Amino acid sequence: MKVIIHDLGIEYDKMLQDKCDAMISADGKYAPCQGCFGCWTKHPAECFMKDSLKEVCRVIGRADELVIISENCYGAYSPAVKNVLDRSIATSTPMSTYRGKQMHHTLRYGKHEMFKVITYGDITPEEKATFELMAERNAINDGYEKSEVIILKSLNELEDVIV
Amino acid sequence: MKTVFINGSPKKKLSASGYFLDVQCFFTRGNKVKENLRNKSDHERILNTIADADTVVFCLPLYVDGVPSHVLSFMKEMELFCTERKLQLNVYVISNSGFIEGNQSRVLFQVFENFCKRSGVHWCGGIGVGGGVMLNVLRIVFLIQIGILLLNFVLSGVHNGNWLPIDALINFATQALMIIFFNLGVFWYTFRMGMAIKKGNSCGKKYTRIMIPSFVFILFADIFFIIISLFQGGIFRGWLSKK
Repeated sequence: MKVIIHDLGIEYDKMLQDKCDAMISADGKYAPCQGCFGCWTKHPAECFMKDSLKEVCRVIGRADELVIISENCYGAYSPAVKNVLDRSIATSTPMSTYRGKQMHHTLRYGKHEMFKVITYGDITPEEKATFELMAERNAINDGYEKSEVIILKSLNELEDVIV
Repeated sequence: MKTVFINGSPKKKLSASGYFLDVQCFFTRGNKVKENLRNKSDHERILNTIADADTVVFCLPLYVDGVPSHVLSFMKEMELFCTERKLQLNVYVISNSGFIEGNQSRVLFQVFENFCKRSGVHWCGGIGVGGGVMLNVLRIVFLIQIGILLLNFVLSGVHNGNWLPIDALINFATQALMIIFFNLGVFWYTFRMGMAIKKGNSCGKKYTRIMIPSFVFILFADIFFIIISLFQGGIFRGWLSKK
């Protein structure tokens, strides 16, 4: 299953929907994570906040390939995309394990294949390095075998890289 | 010298970030202001507070290897605010995660470093705290222990006429020393950061961990979540299953 998360706006929805099995539009119309751990300890894989991200971890967790398209924000995802990821921690369970020589949570949905990040917007060499480290760390944390970062000079290149 | 401490935890009370912020505040001299950053309604108030500040200390939890989304939103506004006013701020960060290794915060530090470059403010380093949830729980346990000690004094005094029971004191001191031992890294580096803030220097990037083997820590972390999940009922609702 291929899942795309993007913050490009509704004008890109149609094109991206045709290229994946599930698409999450990071439009910012949802609340940030409250850090309550309720999606681990109270109502597993479900957030107590009743908005479009209530069960988002159940979609992201099933991805074999996850593609994140985000504007650069200091070498990290845009706030709208990061909000989606913050609200999806129940793709893992509260139990801990060792992965990539560090402590992480065990995976609710098992291992995944590809973690791909496509970023656009003004970016410095330092921010590029941060993005690469972050994607690598995210891939280990979420149990992906491979990670890749693609930096777009222009959004016109998007269709070519999102095969 | 004015230092603004920004608590980036979304929790209203008893957050680990709030605890580390209080410790850092204790080791910092001068005019100190504490602010809570939970949502967009806090932005304007905090920006007005930092307008005449010399130093800003962010204290925040690590979310998915990075900065929580609501803090990123604030940083974007702060960048505009700082560049428009050409603010000469020193920025320090204390990041905490539930994982034992404090160095899991290194991406978060890079993000703040990039933010400082774009905002024209000075990146002065940070502390990545490992085992933040455990240290916060121990802080709460310590407060309960003080209550138990006082209760022991009263009960012992009323029943035996001994208002200073030595065994209760020894028991309390042993547990307090253990909590201090686990917090040593945090106390040392927050002290150092306090000195750096006073001099306007960088404190570098420092990382702490709980001084026990990782497999023991993981065992305690699992027991903690089993107990919480039992009380909150998640354990009976397909706790670890695919949903």
